[in-house]
Amino acid sequence: MSLLPNLRPVRNHRLAWMGGVLALALAASVSIGARTTMAAGTINILETGSSLLYPLFQLWVPVYTHTDPGVKITPQSTGSGTGISQAVAGIVQIGASDAYMSNALVKMHPLLNIPLCISMQMVNYNLPGLNKIHLRLSGPALAGIYSGTIRYWDDATIKELNPGVHLPHHLIIPVHRTDGSGDTFIFTQYLSFSTPSWSNNVSYGTTVTWPAVPGGIGAEGNPGMVTATQDNPYAIAYIGTSFQNAIEKQGLGIAVLKNRAGNFLLPSARTAEAAAAVMVPKTPQDERISLIFAPGAESYPIINYEYALVSRRQPSAEMAAALRKFFTWAISRNGGSTPHFMAAVHFVPLPAPVVKLSQAQIAQIQ
Amino acid sequence: MSFHLFTGLLACLVAGTLVIIVAFLGLYAWPAVRLNGFSFLYKNTWSLGFLYRNPITVHGQQVLRGAHYGILFLIVGTLLSTLVALAIAVPVGVGAAMFLAEGLPPSLQTWFSFFVELLAAIPSVVYGLWGYVVVIPFLGHRVFPFLARHFGFIPFFGGAVGSGYGLLTSGLVLSLMIVPLITATLRDALVAQQADLREAAVALGASRFEALRTVLLPATRRVLIGGSILATGRALGETMAVLMISGNAVNYLPGNIYAPISTMASFIVSQLDSALTDPTGMAVRSLAEVALVLCLISIVVNGFARILLYYEGRQSARVA
Repeated sequence: MSLLPNLRPVRNHRLAWMGGVLALALAASVSIGARTTMAAGTINILETGSSLLYPLFQLWVPVYTHTDPGVKITPQSTGSGTGISQAVAGIVQIGASDAYMSNALVKMHPLLNIPLCISMQMVNYNLPGLNKIHLRLSGPALAGIYSGTIRYWDDATIKELNPGVHLPHHLIIPVHRTDGSGDTFIFTQYLSFSTPSWSNNVSYGTTVTWPAVPGGIGAEGNPGMVTATQDNPYAIAYIGTSFQNAIEKQGLGIAVLKNRAGNFLLPSARTAEAAAAVMVPKTPQDERISLIFAPGAESYPIINYEYALVSRRQPSAEMAAALRKFFTWAISRNGGSTPHFMAAVHFVPLPAPVVKLSQAQIAQIQ
Repeated sequence: MSFHLFTGLLACLVAGTLVIIVAFLGLYAWPAVRLNGFSFLYKNTWSLGFLYRNPITVHGQQVLRGAHYGILFLIVGTLLSTLVALAIAVPVGVGAAMFLAEGLPPSLQTWFSFFVELLAAIPSVVYGLWGYVVVIPFLGHRVFPFLARHFGFIPFFGGAVGSGYGLLTSGLVLSLMIVPLITATLRDALVAQQADLREAAVALGASRFEALRTVLLPATRRVLIGGSILATGRALGETMAVLMISGNAVNYLPGNIYAPISTMASFIVSQLDSALTDPTGMAVRSLAEVALVLCLISIVVNGFARILLYYEGRQSARVA
């Protein structure tokens, strides 16, 4: 079946010409690339995963390059699911994830799960006229919205939480992540720990089976979540605090969330540190633990360790040393965890006892 | 090695690749096929199960508790978006081909055709990005509400218009991607028709349009069918553009033409990384099963086209 159009000579000629230019450009760029890597004998460290941790890596890399000029770190924002799977596959040296690896996965692929800092998650919304007000929301209310039992913004459950607020009779557009995501992991943990029906039917994970909510939409990465919320009035979404500046710039709403003690709190360094203080003593040696829905009057309910997933065995001693040096710098209060870095992405540095645990894990990279 | 043997070997290699790919997909997906059974095709649940609980053993196979795989929503999304794309692209493509072949002076013909064919040369991710940045806000905030308000009486055109991500958007962007395939093939066929056919029709008193409609178009029907099938194949398998604009609906069927959907091809891309975090590997095998189904659908569509062309050929032979 000869169906393809006959290529006219004109086009052939043009294509050949364009191809030539392209080939030249490619050759040039390849040779330049080769020269830069060859010259310095640098160690290339690839990082991929969590889009929540990505903004911090972007701040870290240029500064760290001065500390250790022999190391070139390339971060990528691909989602924690990718972070986990590519670290497991050994494609990258650092897999970044907001979620620790499951027991079954760790048994198969014994990677280190090293916390680098503590982050929070916001629940954001785009309610025309109401974005300045911090709406009060609870785990069960969010579970209702994401399972489709609460369809309208003026639903009795939401009204009850927000007396005196004039809520519109408009369909809620719940936005969730389509890529494997640590944000999905911590958000669904909040719903699971606070709402038994969610725990039984959906549970938690980096990917969950979202109940079918007509009109609900999926988005890629935290940037995609911000765009989707901004583009869709009446949308609601869960977004990491490293995107708080973007949320504020777009004039979107930030919810106050109900914690285990029944108090409604905004994400802030204070409420995150309060929650961390409760959970730090419970953190085990391998540091795989959920910090979600912590007890305590002032504990913000959605905080988590930001993990670097790293192989214990590195292909070379140089690589192992470079990784140890970088991680040690990252969790140090004089290095990557200075208030300057932490405040920029609204993260909290690791408390001293956890720094010790992380250091012990870092020492295992050989 | 003789020329004959060498070319024969190459030909076998090409034909063998298809068999090998399908065979390997089938082998890899087999544990999933056994676990999922027929409900894979008619259920609307894609669930990796409880990723953070320990796996259990079913039929000697490690699986996660709560893992269920059913892809009806993907099959429906794939077929519907292709159908919408064809419904738009075939009339537009035929109209454009007629205009390019008959309605333009030859000097302009070359240029216009060149541009139409260039449309086919644009990588699909570019369509996706354009759809994401330009088309979705425009459709979602202006066109869809207008359509729902004034044409809501047509089945599936009423109801919630959503956000611009969805079936109609995917269909529209897909149709743009496949129009050039239809136009270019049909235009070439129209131009290639012998002048005597046209002259005979005109001599009988047919107007230019009548000659085109009653004589030239029927004579090129085979090409139109062929071109449309080629276009269908592209629409069925289109991945990137659809991934960016379909809304990636999971586990439900679209309620109307504006609703979010997912297609098999884009789903495989969007879910692969999540699937890789399943310690039992069943999720990846189930994705392979999706790929297998997509392959089979494409083969069926192509086979159907062959049969159609075969009968069409016999008919025209009889007429001649």
